[in-house]
Amino acid sequence: MNDDAHRPTPRRWLAAHAAGQRGWLALAALAGFGAGAATVAQMGLLAWIVSGMLIAGATLGELGETFALLAGVLALRALSQWGQEVAGQEASLRIRQRVRAELLDHLAALGPVRAGERHSGGLASQLVEQVEALDGYFARFLPQLRLAVAVPLLILGVVLWLDWLAALFLLLAAPLIPLFMALIGMGAERLNREQFVAVSRLSGHFLDRVRGIATLQLFHRTAEATAEVHRAADRYRLLSLRTLRVAFLSSAVLEFFASVAIAMVAIYVGFGLLGYIDYGPADELTLFSGLLVLLLAPEFFQPLRSLAQHYHDRAAALGAADGMLALLAEPVHRADPQPLVGGKGLVALEAATLSHPGRGRVVGPLNVVVQAGEVVVVTGPSGAGKSALLQLLAGFVAPDEGQRLTRPELAIAWMDQRPLLIHGSLADNLRLAAPEASDSELSQALERARLGELLAALPEGLDTRLGEGGVGLSGGQAQRVALARVFLSRAPLVLLDEPTASLDEDTEARVVESLRALAAEGRALVIATHHPALMAMAGRHLRLTAAGLPANVEEGADA
Amino acid sequence: MPEPSLRSSLVPWLRLFARRRRRLVLGTLLLAITHASAVGLLALSGWFITASALTGLALAAGLAVSLDVYVPGGGIRFFALSRTVSRYGERFYNHDTVLRFLADLRSRLFAVLARLDERSLARQRASDWLNRLTADIDTLDSLFLRLLAPPLVALLAVLLVAALLSLWLPWVGIVVATVLLFAWGWLTLGQAWLGMSASRRQVAHLQRLRGQLVEHLQGQAELEAYASQGWHRRHIEEQEARLQHDQRFLARWAGFGVALVNLTVGLAMLAALWLAALAWQQEAIGGAVMVMMPLAVLACGEALALLPMAFTHLGATRGAADRLNALVRAGEAVSTSGSEPLPAGPLSLCLHNVSLSYPDALEPALSGIDLSLASGRRLALSGASGAGKSSVAALVARRLPPSEGEIVLGGVPLAHVDERALRERVALLGQRVDLFQGSLAANLRLAAPRASEAELWQALAWVALDDWARDLPSGLETPVGEGGRALSGGQARRVALARLWLRDPGLVILDEPFAGLDADTVARIKPRLDAWLAGRSAIYLVHQLDGGDFDPPGITHEARLEQGKLTDCANHGHPSG
Repeated sequence: MNDDAHRPTPRRWLAAHAAGQRGWLALAALAGFGAGAATVAQMGLLAWIVSGMLIAGATLGELGETFALLAGVLALRALSQWGQEVAGQEASLRIRQRVRAELLDHLAALGPVRAGERHSGGLASQLVEQVEALDGYFARFLPQLRLAVAVPLLILGVVLWLDWLAALFLLLAAPLIPLFMALIGMGAERLNREQFVAVSRLSGHFLDRVRGIATLQLFHRTAEATAEVHRAADRYRLLSLRTLRVAFLSSAVLEFFASVAIAMVAIYVGFGLLGYIDYGPADELTLFSGLLVLLLAPEFFQPLRSLAQHYHDRAAALGAADGMLALLAEPVHRADPQPLVGGKGLVALEAATLSHPGRGRVVGPLNVVVQAGEVVVVTGPSGAGKSALLQLLAGFVAPDEGQRLTRPELAIAWMDQRPLLIHGSLADNLRLAAPEASDSELSQALERARLGELLAALPEGLDTRLGEGGVGLSGGQAQRVALARVFLSRAPLVLLDEPTASLDEDTEARVVESLRALAAEGRALVIATHHPALMAMAGRHLRLTAAGLPANVEEGADA
Repeated sequence: MPEPSLRSSLVPWLRLFARRRRRLVLGTLLLAITHASAVGLLALSGWFITASALTGLALAAGLAVSLDVYVPGGGIRFFALSRTVSRYGERFYNHDTVLRFLADLRSRLFAVLARLDERSLARQRASDWLNRLTADIDTLDSLFLRLLAPPLVALLAVLLVAALLSLWLPWVGIVVATVLLFAWGWLTLGQAWLGMSASRRQVAHLQRLRGQLVEHLQGQAELEAYASQGWHRRHIEEQEARLQHDQRFLARWAGFGVALVNLTVGLAMLAALWLAALAWQQEAIGGAVMVMMPLAVLACGEALALLPMAFTHLGATRGAADRLNALVRAGEAVSTSGSEPLPAGPLSLCLHNVSLSYPDALEPALSGIDLSLASGRRLALSGASGAGKSSVAALVARRLPPSEGEIVLGGVPLAHVDERALRERVALLGQRVDLFQGSLAANLRLAAPRASEAELWQALAWVALDDWARDLPSGLETPVGEGGRALSGGQARRVALARLWLRDPGLVILDEPFAGLDADTVARIKPRLDAWLAGRSAIYLVHQLDGGDFDPPGITHEARLEQGKLTDCANHGHPSG
């Protein structure tokens, strides 16, 4: 149901999110319209004062109230503008929060295996930079899009009431507005596309050289590379100037029309007032109507010019949305497991297979039952699907065929070659497995994972911060932190994927010792490994056959 | 460490800008002409309409008056055109300037990076850091268009309008200048002061969020197993809330600034109108000039419009400058090399009680290493990953200074060796192989810029890649590296080996030389490597020696590293392999 045919277009998806914050977006547009109306009022009062003094001969004293009203309108206009900014930003903040949550929910639903097929750095940049790239679209472009229609219409109405011929000038420009929009759009989009290609090529060149800087140092070639970086940036400059020359034309056209409209209105009104024009409404022109038409002419084009400034926000949002939709379109297959009732079985796979995109079937069909308290060792050449078997048992991925059954409410503990270390204290890192655990329980778990020495050596004990800006743990120590979590968790089923890979012999021996202690607690262990010391722990041994073939499970009690 | 002041953060980069002073002046001038045209267009139009209306009325009353319509009409058309043309010219010219800065900035920073040692580079090699680096460069790059030219032009516009008004009524000019200069000061300094800390924190917030998300994704298996995804999600949401709190704060104040521009310009307009009207009542000025004054003030609002957004977010630019300044300092902190040459022929090597500690690690990476290698011998240094082999290589190649102890290469203390001599005489094949975007030939010529094509083919033949390369449609000109032809790990490693062959080192350090190669290729290359290494000293870094075909050739010594310490040394009586 989540296939490509049903995938919404980026535009529709953005619109759906906008609909979710209809209130704030409407408020932003309304405030913007209020500011537009206040501008019209401001210009009207200005023209009224001028005409009142010069034509009607009113004194400043008589116009005092009008001045006060004008000051009030100015304040109202400022308030509306502030409201537009704040409401637009509020909508954008809320939408960005919601989009991030939507993406995270989807990744959680996909599970560690399917989500893990993507590069975590790339995903994180989608969740941070790409989500932030939606800002301008919701905060500024969308409200401005409505204003670009509403405010010119309002102004046109006022001008029409003042002088229909002047309105005709603006109206003549009005059919040109969609043309402007297209021009701007084309210009901006082309600018964006070409700039994007050129920028990414240039950044690529720069990053390529930075990444390899150690090699350049070793070959003593950094001076040449520096000159080359400059040359590449200069080539990029010449290239993008060619694009910009054309792209800036579209905004120049808009600028030109806005300027010419003012000039035309000024000359028309001036000549009309002088009585040089004796057709149409020109002889009815007054200083008030003439001045107001002049003052409103630039305001007629202003919303469009603002829109042009925000046009690249739209392109950026569409680009970001496209990437996010590709992620959201990935189908979710995981469902609740069937209950496994009776006996000592904790989890079972029945005729389960698993395929990875581009690699075909990686494991299965498998029939496995893990009993409470037993130690199962899984071996096989690399690529035989040992990890896949563990992932299926854990329920991290749904079998493509067959099914997984578990004891209801089964808790599991997991440990693989890349243990998770979160940014935070050592205690935070342990409580991840047991949020309620007391400090003494944490120390005990560390002790059992053979990290007691480390704990004693740490300056701030359990409160020591790990990772960036804190203490760096070696690979072996990180592995044992993950093991301490297993001890803390009390889960009856422990799944271990190559728990001792990339450890030196000494550390490996310590980990094996800890795992024995874990088995002695009566927990069921399923261990995928190559290491003889771990294989020796096996109560039961599953061998998977070589890569590429559907794996068969051979069961034997030997090691 | 004390906080660097705003001035000391930005001055090094402003200095870089100063090199293109003429372009800056011209670009600013073009921008000023655009705004001056806008002021001229509206002010003259207002004057013209009013003058026309008054003349029209006088004519209707039967008075013999006349108005020259051609000069103001021409002026209006001129301003309309000059505004368009100068806007286009300004955008084009200033973007050219910005792109020139980009080239300056990138090459300057690259030169800084090129001085960093292994430790600084390793810390900063993460793709996250690279992204931030380019983002920081782009932020500084737009310094001119966002933070230098606009306030300058706004100031010019304010003074210009005030001067224009002063031609008729000096005190109107003074009042307008006072109001607008106050606004200018607030919009630049005040907004910057308001938004400084929040906008400075933005990058750190985003980076933290990014880090947490990477944790969340990489640790998804453990988090799901322990049912703590929700717990970790809450941490992420807390961080997001901190980010959004600052964003909300910045948006409110930036919006305040935008509103303030229009409010103060409007009030200045109002003041100008009131004062001009007073003067008109006293018949000090004509009606048309009275109308022109408020309109001129109104038109200069555009020049102030861009200030609040840019200055509320000044902290982001300051943060970028601070990070890049820190990088420059790190580059300067790396000790410069000595000037002593190295002897010809194979180089001997001695490490005396060498230790290496990283600042945030609990245990030293290497401690008390004593190692000596007579010239022409080959040492195999084995150990698990993380045991410290790469640290030894980095020390010997002077990619890091030892924390303690001394290293002597070819009889010369390593710290005294001339940089060029060191790079020419010590070759290192690390775990990572860097192939650059560019042709295969360019990648090989990295090692020997003046190598002939025949020599390049010889080098490829030496690593048994010549047949493969000959089959490529573009041969040596085939693009490789990112965006080019993807080489397998084994092929990339062989290209890197061929690069070493093109040089004439006296000491060769090879980290797992045969990693990723198949047995046939190893069988072909191994004797060639053996022959080439004759008359040179060599250090092999290997996970484990097993006496099989994949062991590197001609080992004379063995040593094993465990957790940064040498455990045992065995001298081979005869070369194996």
